[in-house]
Amino acid sequence: MTGRFLPWLAGVTAVLLVTGLVWGLLLAPPDYQMGDNYRIIYIHVPTVVLAMNSYLLMAVLSAAVLIWKIKMADIVAKACAPIGATLTAVGLATGSIWGIPTWGTWWIWDARLTSTLILFFLYIGIIALRSAYDSVDSAARASAVLVLVGVVNIPIIVYSVEWWNTLHQPASELSLRNTAANPPEIWIPAFIMGFAVFGVFLLALILRSRNEILVRERRAQWVLDLIRRDHGEQEPANGGLHVSGGKA
Amino acid sequence: MPELQFSSLGDFLEMGGYALYVWSAYSIFAVFVAVNLIQPYRARRKFMKQQRARLEREEQR
Repeated sequence: MTGRFLPWLAGVTAVLLVTGLVWGLLLAPPDYQMGDNYRIIYIHVPTVVLAMNSYLLMAVLSAAVLIWKIKMADIVAKACAPIGATLTAVGLATGSIWGIPTWGTWWIWDARLTSTLILFFLYIGIIALRSAYDSVDSAARASAVLVLVGVVNIPIIVYSVEWWNTLHQPASELSLRNTAANPPEIWIPAFIMGFAVFGVFLLALILRSRNEILVRERRAQWVLDLIRRDHGEQEPANGGLHVSGGKA
Repeated sequence: MPELQFSSLGDFLEMGGYALYVWSAYSIFAVFVAVNLIQPYRARRKFMKQQRARLEREEQR
């Protein structure tokens, strides 16, 4: 399935991550007002942007679940929620940390921050709602409905900085000119980090979806074969025993 | 070409006086990457172990 593609994705993600981190932390020049504190933006912007896009992906998948009852869409939508929740949490936390020296406060109830906090609660609500059902089909339908109701929050987050007077600034204009406020040397690492975070997201999404398929198909012959083969591989190394013993 | 912005390791760690903010933010990011990539592997191993135990129980019967 996706097995052969995974090591390549992992490799590309690792290279992007290292490049983005080195460029953003070491090579990009400091901001003329914010100094080195602005380097937080290189993780803040990619994580919040992806947190919203992962919600949109989940909404498209949820529509597919409700309209065509596609099982695979539900599997990937389920995998999306915890990753999206952690992305939103990182976005909120890094934004708050950046805000302390920049705004003089870690939190303010302005439209952008509040709607992003609602996004986080939506993700948590979707995970909780799903876990409240025993039946896979009922869980799929209920969480798909909640996802689609919550999608109204996404344009609110995006346009909040235009519709209302927020402390959070609108997106900066990017310029190709080196003399502009945001020259390429500032925003190129942001894009690299964006792709890197997307790579981490895709990896986690694929791994989680594969696990979910295994759980749902646990009675199928191919999964039983996989479990027996896994048994044969692990026994000589005695790998899993120690770790799982500690967890139990 | 981009140039190194810090002249020494101490300079780099200091982050122009914003060390606490920059490094705590990047630590949270590191935890995010680690958790999201390690969790599915642990879940898979747990599933395999549980199912193996179930198979063994069923075979004994």
